Amino acid sequence: MPRIVTRLLHMLLVLWAVATILFLMFRLMPGDPTLAYIDTTFSAEQRQQLLVMFGLDRPLHEQYFIYLWNLLQGELGTSFHYKRPVLDLVLSVLPNTVVLTFVSLLLAYIFGVLVGAWLAWRRGSWLEGVVIPSVLALRAAPEFWLGMVLLATLGFGLGIFPSGGANSPGATFSSEWARIFSLDYAQHLVLPTLTLFLYLQGLPLLLMRSNMLEVMQEDFIMMARMKGLSERSIMLRHAARNAMLPVVTAFALGFGGSIGGNVVVESVFSWPGLGRLLVNAVAGNDYPLAQGAFLLITMFLVVMNFVADLLYSALDPRVSHG
Amino acid sequence: MKATSQGVSAGGWCRRAVMAGASAFVLGASLLGFAGAAEAQQGDRIRKIVLVTAPQAGDPQEFQAAQLIGQEWRKLGLDVEVRAMTRQQLTDYVWQSREKWDATMWRMVGRPERSDPDELIFNLFHSTTARAGFNFVGYNNPAYDQIAEAQRREVDVAARKRLITEAQQVIARDTPYVFLVHPKNNIAYLKSVWDPKTIVDQGGIGIRNFWTFVNAAPVGTQKDMVLFSADLLVAINPLYISGGSDSWITDLVWDRLMRVGPDGLPTPWSASEVKWVDGQTLDVTLRPGQKWHDGRPMTVEDVIFSFEAVAGDESPMYKPFVSNIASIEKVSDSVVRFKLKTASASFLTSTLAKINLVPKHVWEPILQGLATSPQNAESHQERQPIGSGPFKVARFALTEEVVLEKNADHWSAPKMDRWILRIVTNQEAALGMLRRGEVNFLSDYRGDPKILDDLARQNTNVEVASSIDMGFRFVGLNNRRPPFDDVKFRQALSLAINRNLMVQAAWNGYAVPSGSVVSPALAAWHVASITRANLDEAKKTLADAGYALVQNRLHYPSGKRETLTAE
Repeated sequence: MPRIVTRLLHMLLVLWAVATILFLMFRLMPGDPTLAYIDTTFSAEQRQQLLVMFGLDRPLHEQYFIYLWNLLQGELGTSFHYKRPVLDLVLSVLPNTVVLTFVSLLLAYIFGVLVGAWLAWRRGSWLEGVVIPSVLALRAAPEFWLGMVLLATLGFGLGIFPSGGANSPGATFSSEWARIFSLDYAQHLVLPTLTLFLYLQGLPLLLMRSNMLEVMQEDFIMMARMKGLSERSIMLRHAARNAMLPVVTAFALGFGGSIGGNVVVESVFSWPGLGRLLVNAVAGNDYPLAQGAFLLITMFLVVMNFVADLLYSALDPRVSHG
Repeated sequence: MKATSQGVSAGGWCRRAVMAGASAFVLGASLLGFAGAAEAQQGDRIRKIVLVTAPQAGDPQEFQAAQLIGQEWRKLGLDVEVRAMTRQQLTDYVWQSREKWDATMWRMVGRPERSDPDELIFNLFHSTTARAGFNFVGYNNPAYDQIAEAQRREVDVAARKRLITEAQQVIARDTPYVFLVHPKNNIAYLKSVWDPKTIVDQGGIGIRNFWTFVNAAPVGTQKDMVLFSADLLVAINPLYISGGSDSWITDLVWDRLMRVGPDGLPTPWSASEVKWVDGQTLDVTLRPGQKWHDGRPMTVEDVIFSFEAVAGDESPMYKPFVSNIASIEKVSDSVVRFKLKTASASFLTSTLAKINLVPKHVWEPILQGLATSPQNAESHQERQPIGSGPFKVARFALTEEVVLEKNADHWSAPKMDRWILRIVTNQEAALGMLRRGEVNFLSDYRGDPKILDDLARQNTNVEVASSIDMGFRFVGLNNRRPPFDDVKFRQALSLAINRNLMVQAAWNGYAVPSGSVVSPALAAWHVASITRANLDEAKKTLADAGYALVQNRLHYPSGKRETLTAE
């Protein structure tokens, strides 16, 4: 129990540090937020009014304390540009990003674990010589290039899949859930997911393979063989299960990390997600929106980290006994 | 009026006389200089000139044009540095530190309300806007100020046209800006979906405009117009000027008393008639039988409310457009009377065609609620926007898609069923979508126009409409800082630039040379005065004004010291 409390305190410290860095970072960036949106017809008076409205005329330390105080109350502020609460804005695009990230990551990890285990089992065969270089090549290929190739072939080339967006033009749904579980949404999801999948599968695959190779040297595998278990059973039940531990951690961290990192895929496929909103916010010095979104991403990452920690101790008792 | 215009020409004459005298003196001085020791007589060497521009990645055309200009100015013996800054830094620098910079690449974009030349003629060059307003180059010419003020008061079109012509000529001569090009708009659509005869080209704006959206007739079974914006949408709010693509929507959902017509002139829209009672009083008759999207009738009270709503502090972006209104009163159930503080020829375009008509029963309670909060009306997003325009909002998700459907009850009902605006952030994908019909109106293409032309050549369904933009690109010269404070020096800089070469090399042929603030797209007001490139004449202009080359570097006229350093 005290272990968990210490962990939680760590989390809070990390969040405070990130919040402070975010605050300073955006304010030290060149350019004035009032200039990003305004047309040049904007008068000096109007500009001053805007500065006062957002509290940007106050000294930096005052702004900082107001910012922290608001954060404590769960108040992320109002976007300069959209003039709406940051939380509303982020929540409006979050479902799309979570679906895209989760589906691609899940597919990538299932594929990576299976193929990685299998490759370790077939160590030294000609398959290795074909599969590993192609996995590495896909992992190294720039996402936008991969996305464009898929788009130009399967998208507007052959017309199998739509070329952008999350739904067909003008499609109507009874609810947000109905939308996300519709066939139309799934069709739009295929290409961005495939791109992200191809990019993500390399890590779990190689990780799984090297863990497997290590585990296969262990005594209990030898033991299993001596017991006369089938190869299949040894591979899946005994070796793979133990080799999977680090992959689970990678999955949890990968999920936290990818939430805000899909900017490229989201832009290529015009996918209405968090990444696109973030890029605009940063480019336009929309401090509250950028800060809020980054903070939420950090929160995701920290929480997933925490979950991975807990999971790890559940899966491997040695950790908690440490 | 008559007295004023005589005053103007007398002022102009005086100025010319003084200038002629001055240049005769300078000429004399430089002749003297030749006779004596050349170097001793010459002024200081001109410092390094810095030309700021957007970076190549941000705006390749502008960057390329800046490089060309740098080359040509160096041929005059100047030391020129072309310095790239992000658009934001550039705006900050040029706008906020008005004493510091030398020359900047800049642009004016076309907008329907700029169809009336007042905004360009007055705001850009009147001396009162030099300190903090639009006249960021600091041009100051009292004679010009008088012309700019006079055209604003003159409601007689022919007389105003003469003043606008004179203003353009003065600007061409004084060269506060070096005009470069008017870019061309390239917008494509599918001929197999939309009847080309019903696509409207609005002068200086192109085919993506209100009139096209209301008139476009489908030829087949696809009755929805699917178009796209490359930017995310910000709001659908009649009291907030939130962005370029957002304004396409507000244009269609909310009506206005006037609209800027395809010819660039104001035409009555929700008003059936507008009549000047005198120079400062205008009677507007409301078109009968108009209804809000919720079924309630539009009344004179709604119209008055719409103008009063933006006059307060709740709508800071619209406020300047109504600041000239002294009072609005109801004359009858269909007539409103506007009284203006000063006569304004552009009032019909810049105010009546600009202010959205909003229902009083919707917005009055909203504004009352906002009156005590620190937020203003810009932060209010209606869940179901209510206007009276030819399209109704069916539903919207601002990061994804906005669906408008036709308002069949409107007196000018659209021919299409729905107008669907998608967000497409990938320009190549947008082209692919057009080819496959996933979009059928390529409303926001920002890529290479040549690729679009090639696509149209391969695919006969694709029609590209190319038209000259109302906006223009120019070099802003800081008229406050020597040597740019010398009109002869500015003229020489303009003469040195080869605009035809620039059109080809920087804009790939998709632009026309520019010589005036008023684009040739606005045929009613435009005066042609393109400066042709002539390096010899540029050099001669400088020599006549007393500038001279010493060891291949340009020096000031005699007696003039260099007091500034390159920032």
